[in-house]
Formats: sequence, C-alpha cells, structure tokens
Amino acid sequence: MTTMTNSNVSSTLYRGRWVWMRFNAYLGAALGIAAMAIYGANGYEENAFLYQILSMKGVLWGGSGALTGCAFAAVASAIKPNLLDAKMARNITPWLDGFILMVILAAIWARFEPAQEAISYDDQSNLFAGRVIMAMNVTFIFSAVAYIAYLFAPETFIGRVATATAYIGVYLGGSALLLRWHESYLFDMNIGHAPVSNLYEVFILLFCITAAVYLALEKRYQAKAMGAFVMTLVSAGVFFGIWLDSVGQGEIKPLVPALQSYWMKIHVPMNFVGYGSFAVACGAGMAYLVRHRLEAKGSNSKMLAIFPTLEQLDLLAYKAVAIGFPAFTLATILGAAWAAEAWGGYWSWDPKETWALIVWLVYGAYLHARVSHGWHGKALAWWAVAGFLVTVFCFLGVNMYLSGLHSYGRLS
Amino acid sequence: MPRMQSFPDLIKSIWQRLGSMSLAIVLLVVLSIASVIGTVLLQNQAQADYLQQFGPLWYWVFRSLGLFDMYHTWWFMGMLAFLMVSLASCLWRNVPKMLKEMRQRKATIPEKALKRFQYLHRWQASEDAAALQQRLQARLPGWEFRTVEQDGVHYLRADKGRWNKWGYILVHSAILVILVGGWIGANYGFRGTMAVPEGSMENEISFSEGTETGNLTMPFYVRCNSFFIDFFPTGAPKEFRSNLTIIDHGKEVLTKDIIVNEPLYYKGVRIYQASFGDGGSEITFKLYHLDGSGKITEATTHVYDGWKDPKSGLDIRVTDFKPYNVENMADPGKPTDFKDLGPAVEYELRYPGFKPVKIKAFMNPFTDPEGHNQGSFIMLSFTGDKADYKPIPLGLDLTNPVEWKLFHAFMHHLSDANQGKKKQDKAQARAANLAAFRAAMVEVFGADRQKWPADFQQMAMRTLQAVNVLSGLPWPMLPMLGDFKQHYYTGLQLAKDPGMNVVWFGSAMLVIGLCIMFYMPHRKLWLIVRESEGGSDVALAGMVTRNPLVFSKFFNDLFTQFKNDDAPQSS
Ligand code: HEM
Repeated sequence: MTTMTNSNVSSTLYRGRWVWMRFNAYLGAALGIAAMAIYGANGYEENAFLYQILSMKGVLWGGSGALTGCAFAAVASAIKPNLLDAKMARNITPWLDGFILMVILAAIWARFEPAQEAISYDDQSNLFAGRVIMAMNVTFIFSAVAYIAYLFAPETFIGRVATATAYIGVYLGGSALLLRWHESYLFDMNIGHAPVSNLYEVFILLFCITAAVYLALEKRYQAKAMGAFVMTLVSAGVFFGIWLDSVGQGEIKPLVPALQSYWMKIHVPMNFVGYGSFAVACGAGMAYLVRHRLEAKGSNSKMLAIFPTLEQLDLLAYKAVAIGFPAFTLATILGAAWAAEAWGGYWSWDPKETWALIVWLVYGAYLHARVSHGWHGKALAWWAVAGFLVTVFCFLGVNMYLSGLHSYGRLS
Repeated sequence: MPRMQSFPDLIKSIWQRLGSMSLAIVLLVVLSIASVIGTVLLQNQAQADYLQQFGPLWYWVFRSLGLFDMYHTWWFMGMLAFLMVSLASCLWRNVPKMLKEMRQRKATIPEKALKRFQYLHRWQASEDAAALQQRLQARLPGWEFRTVEQDGVHYLRADKGRWNKWGYILVHSAILVILVGGWIGANYGFRGTMAVPEGSMENEISFSEGTETGNLTMPFYVRCNSFFIDFFPTGAPKEFRSNLTIIDHGKEVLTKDIIVNEPLYYKGVRIYQASFGDGGSEITFKLYHLDGSGKITEATTHVYDGWKDPKSGLDIRVTDFKPYNVENMADPGKPTDFKDLGPAVEYELRYPGFKPVKIKAFMNPFTDPEGHNQGSFIMLSFTGDKADYKPIPLGLDLTNPVEWKLFHAFMHHLSDANQGKKKQDKAQARAANLAAFRAAMVEVFGADRQKWPADFQQMAMRTLQAVNVLSGLPWPMLPMLGDFKQHYYTGLQLAKDPGMNVVWFGSAMLVIGLCIMFYMPHRKLWLIVRESEGGSDVALAGMVTRNPLVFSKFFNDLFTQFKNDDAPQSS
C-alpha cells in the first residue's frame, strides 16, 4: 500500500510522520474530551456540552489530549518506525481532517446568524442552518443529475463536476448540522442538544454519511458509474427531507428526558454509518443489476466502458457491507448499553430493537451467502438491494408505522 | 434407497450438517422472518384487546402459538438454542483446522500448485536469492517472514494479518457468549416495576409473565421522599427526578436522587426512573349547584377515590390530576404557541338516568391571548375516551363569586320579566335581556355606575353565554376544581441481571472479531528463487482471504517496483 500513493501530488500530508502525528493528535483530543465528560468536574452537562467543548476547559482537556497523542506518536514511531506506514492512520485521518473543515465552515456560517433579538423558538425560519441545508439539498440533487449525465456522456469534466458537488454537499450538510447544534442553544440554553435527535436531523446525517462512504470507495476503486445510483438514492432522501421540513418536522425541539444522554451522541451517528454503508451497498447492487442486464442483452452501450466490471461491483457491495456491518453491530451494542442504563434492560424486544436485529441478521446472512458456494453475483446484488429496503423500514417504517401504533394508537 | 448408516455415523453426519454454511444462512433468515411477527403484532397487551381485535378463532390460534409474547415462546427459544448448537458445531469443526493453519506456515510450494495461483509473476533476475530476499523484506515492513531452502530452490514466505482466523473464532464464539449471557439474565435475573407514592415505601415489584402478572419481593424497601418535574419553556417535560431512600432491615442506608439515564445501584439491583403519575392527590371540589339556589358547597376526596352526593345520587370518581396542562393554543398551521392552562382534575361523573361522562375540569378561567377573561371551562367526553374531549366554555368565571351571584340575579330578573309574556321577537328579547342584566348589576353592585367593574360589558356577554350552557347541563351540580394538595407517585423500574457483564464481554469479542475479520485480511506472498548460471528464475506469488481488488493492485505495484529496482543492475 505504501507504493500506491506515489503518484498523488497532495500526498505528503497523508504520508509518514505527518499523518501519523495528526492521527494521534485527533485521537488524543477526542479522548481528552471524553475524559473531560467522564472525569472533569461538571464535565458533562446535557444542556451545554457543545460550549463545554468550546470553552477554556474543553480546550485544556482536548489540547492536553492532543499533545499527549503527539508525544505518544513520537515515542511509538521512534521505537517502531514502521508505524509511520500504519494503514489505519492513513485511512482514517482524511475523515478527521474533513471533520475539522466542517467545524471551521460551521464557525463561518455562525457569523451569518440573525441578531439575538430576531431569534425566536416559535419561528425558526430565519436561522442560517436552514439555508445551508437548502444549499445542500440543491447540491446533492445537482450531483445526482451530473452522475447520471456522466453515465450517458462519460466526459471527464462531467465526472469531475459530479464528484466535486458530492463533496460540497457533504461539507454543507455536515457543517449545517454542527451549526444547528449551536442554534439550538440560541433560543434557550436549556433546549440545546446535539443535532441527532429527530428524523430530519438524522436524515441529513444519513445523506452526508452515504455520500462520504461512496466518495471514499470512488476514490479508492475508481467506481464512478456507481455514483449515479448512490446519489439518486440520496436525492430521493433529500426530497423526503424537504417534505419533512415542510410539515414542520425540521424544527429544533427540546429533548425528551429519555434522550438526554451522551449515549445518544455516539449511538445515533454510529448507527447511521451502518445505514449509509448499506445504502452504498444497495447502489452497488443496483449498478450490478443494470450492468448484468445490459450484458445479457448483448448491448455495446458506451456506458459499459465506464461501468466497473460485474466482479468489481460485487466486491464494492461487499466492501460497503464490510464497513457497515461492524459499525452497525457496534451501534446496536451501544444502543443496548444505553437501554441498560436508561430502562434497566439491554434488550426488550421493542420494535426498533427487533428491526435492528433483523437488519443485522439479513446482512449476516448476506455475508455468509457470499462465502458459501452456490450464491452468485446476481442473487447477491438483489440481496444487497433488498437488504437496504429492510434497512429503510428499520429507520423509517418503524418510526412511522410501528412505534406510531405504539405511541398514538393506544388510548388509555 | 440410501444405504443404512450406523448410528454413530448418522450422529456424526448430522453434527456435520449442523455446522454447515447453508444451514447458517437458513437459520439467520428464518430467525429474522420470525422476529418480524413480534413487531407487527403488539406484544404483551391486555388479552381482552387481542380478543376484540382478532375475534375468538384467530385469538385462540395466535394465543396457542404464543404470538402475544412471541420472544419467550418455546419455539423461538428453540430456534436460538438451535443457533447455538449450530455455532458450536461449526466452531468445533473449524477451530482446530484454523489454529493449525495459523501456526504452521508452509513456505514451500510445489511447482504444480504454483501454476494455479491467481496472483503470480515470473521473471529473470540478475541477483542471487539472498539479495532478492533481502530486498523484498525491506519492501514489506511489518510482515512476517520464513525462509526455507529445498532441492536448491529458495523459498521466502511473507505473511501479514496471519491471525485473521481469530476474527472468525471471536465472532462466532461471541454469539454463543452473548446468548449464554442472555440466558443467565433470563433465569437468574429479574425486571419489574413499582409505583411508590411520595412519602410511602414499597418492596414489591410486578412484571408481566406472558399473559399473567408476577410479583417479587425485594430484600429492601424503597421510599420516595419526593418527586419533581422540570419543564422546558415550551412546556415539554425536561427532567423527572425522584429522591429515594433505601431502607434495608429497617435502617436507612442510602438516599439519592435519580433521573432518567442516571439510575441508582444497590445490592446488585438497579433502580431506574421509568414513569410517574398521580399518587393520590387530595382534591377539594367546589360544587356549583345548578338548581338556581346559587349554593356552592365543597367536597374533599383523593385521586383514585371519589365522592357521592347522598341526596341526588351524583357520583364522582377522580381519575387523574395534573398541576400543569400545557397545550398548543395556535390555530392549525400557525406557529406553535404553548400555554399552561393551569391545574385540572379529571373525573367520571355518574348521575342516575344519564350516561356517565368523563370531565376534565380546570381550576382557572381561560384567558385569551389579548388578555380577556373568557370564563371557566371544562372538557367533556361522552365516550370516556380522551380523544373525544370537547372544550365547553361555561361563560362565567366561577373563581369569582361575584359573577356567580350576578348570574343568579340575572336569571331571577329574566324569569320575572318573562312571566306572562308568550311570544317575543328578537329585538324584544334583547331589550328584555338588557333590562334584566341592568337590574342584576344594580342588585349586585349597587345603582352607582361608577362602582361597576370596568369590564362589565364582557361580563354581560359571558353571563348570557352561561345562561345557555349552565341551564343545559343535566346534573344537579357542577363539580369544579377548588383546591388541591398534590402527591405524585414515582414509577420505578428495578432490575437485576447477572448475565449482563457476560453479554458486554461477548459484545466486545464480537466487535473486535469483526474488525479483525474485515480489516486485517491475511495476505500471503511467496518469493521463489531458483538460482542458475546467468542469474535467477524468480516467481512472486500471492494469496489473500479478502478484498482482492486492493490486493491485486498492491501485488502488481509490488511486482513492478521490485523488478524495476533490479533493472539498472541487470542491464
Ligand atoms: C448470528 C450469527 C453469526 C454471525 C454474526 C456470523 C458472522 C460471520 C461473518 C461476519 C463472517 C465473515 C463473512 C465473510 O467472510 O465476509 C462469517 C463467516 C463464517 N461463518 Fe458465520 N456468523 C454467524 C453464524 C454462523 C453459523 C451459525 C455458522 C455455522 C453453522 C457460521 C459459519 C461460518 C463460516 C463457516 C464462515 C466462514 C469463515 C471463513 O472461512 O472465513 N456462522 N460469519
């Protein structure tokens, strides 16, 4: 792998000592903040965690963590020089860099907020995050169109535009969410909470993660044609998000007591890493089915030239599941840990939990089917698509249909 | 016909089948389909609801299949047990093989086997075996190497991620561990709820056991000293907090606040804030007699209790009391506007000869957004269902005794004026109303207009409204909320789960195992050098368990660079 990145111009930042140090600094900073939340005096206040991180205290804890991380990195690499080639550091650091960029963007957006007097809980339409989210919506839809255009007119330029807009969409969405976190405090410190508390917010998270996972795969495996499928899925989600907003689901609302927990901040995003990866796997599965069809018809469409081969698409779907499955497993376990702390039992067979289990079993079966003989590409591609439908039901259907029955259908 | 197998052979072949991959796939799919049933069919509801929903036939079919408590039925448990057996079988079969494979790393490869390698390059090099081997090792930091020489051929084997199969072992045994943990919890743990009114103590929990309710006595008492609710500015609840004291063998051992997400731990039992409700608040009703007498009497009772008027047979059962009633007062489609309507009591009202109704009576009159007093009001439901509540403005502000007096004075003057007259047109009726109201005002406030209240015109409107509403009520008196002394109960969940740590241990194994399995593929490389006169015949062969896309690129890059390094010297 060392040998792979030689051609890349901007690669110095992502090689050797630089990336190794930065990786450990980020890790140290994250651990420092976690340590503050756990051990610091009043280190974790549900209603003010964002500002605790941004306060002097947070800077001290996070900064010492980062310094410790750097020191550790220096010592460790002196003892074992080949740590400088650590694959993990190289693969994960770009994501963390991207996150820092999002924070910076959010800080810039925050300058455009209306004056404090103009902010009211009852009318949230003048908040800036809403505008950034609208920009994200447009960008993602544009990106999907560009990816589709690329299929029919495989010009490098169109492909570049498609990829670039997908990146821009991710940064807009991510920074808008961070900004929303800040905005939730503007009404009243008591209302503030992390932006992963309702369907609208997690939808934005889902778009960004799906696009980001896809972009990572695109970069590594040159699988651009798949983008048409993944970004179309994202765009479908964007329209749903716009609808949610139009019916008033996009508003910032205070958190019910059950959700006031730091577990939410790790459980929910982790879950959406799983969902997003499964969406990408679904995109790969769809691309597989389309190519399979084209090939079966003996078509010599220009499209085939840019499509990854069937074998590659099969592997891409697998790769996406390989990202999603461990993340989803971890997320489910974190959810269980939270349930154990909030409700007294790690597993109660409530519909959401059970559907998470179902999703997990479906992808577990998918993984086994891949290893075992007798299951081939097309069936597995269908499985990847069907698996995502199950996933969608798990995070949408259960909320809208099953627990809906649960919480409103019954009268006492 | 298949040949008869001997019994041990049969067992053996079944055992082998149990560990097969196809069975694993079938099991996982069947388990997931079965799980769906329990999410579509609401679990552990009242049996009467099921009976009503499905009718007697399906009710009994579903009930005998245990579908109302599906995840605890013998057949669902059986499936989980079957999964465990299957896992045990596949571990049994594969682990020894894998351990052996991980330990011994065969460096030599017969020429015939080499031809079948998917990743293979052969070329001629000028260097000797030792130099080539050294150069490859330098290119592969972090890899493990073994060299062997056999029949004049130099073999170098390089491994990365040699322990990948541990991933498989960890993941599959983790499922076993988690299921065992769950089994321990189900058999040696408990989980139930208790409701403790403020100031009382309790030591018994109750839980649902399939279709029944079970009880269990704790080895200690829990006393609820107090319960608080804190609200957001929007009126949504922000925090539920109980102050609890644990009393063990008559001694107070521990006092602590608990909130949602922050339980209390004592003697292996965790105590969670789960719910809350009215713990029997003391309610004083003001009974407004509707017989025209203008009497107001009082009756005191408690929530979950009631009061009966011996004379008329009017019967009140108090079902709930809430000190805050936050409602969205905005019109549909407008921005939300939450407002606290103040304390309210809910009761069922029975009166001989009339259908029982459910009433929510508010203590305070309703003030509209412009600040006008719109008078007292109740919510009325004829079905007893909360969804059917309809607001009934009563017109009068009943908290103001003067208005009650004014209302009666008005009624008297009106009936006096109406006596003897048969038919009136609208204008006449209005004039009569006005005259009666003036007379009533004079009676209550005196003839001096200066002393009348400033909003007497609104009062007139409300009094007119009250005439229509109050005289339409069929009961002899209207019970309104007069006063209250609030008591909450706190709803606690108590749980003990000795298997929980086993589950966490298994979960950690699962996640670590998955990471090893997916992210540390076992990559193998062989460098095979046959030295000859002019240089060496070299073969570079590779093998990988996972992610061939990346590996093939890696392999080809490695080959190109490794060979090119050599090129200047060989030319
Ligand atoms: C809930 C239960 C299970 C989970 C989560 C699970 C998980 C996995 C995963 C993630 C893989 C890796 C697939 C891949 O290579 O991409 C795997 C492989 C495998 N599983 Fe399972 N598994 C489960 C149950 C079973 C059962 C019941 C059996 C046997 C009856 C089984 C037999 C195998 C075998 C033989 C492999 C291939 C190992 C190899 O050679 O790489 N698994 N399992």
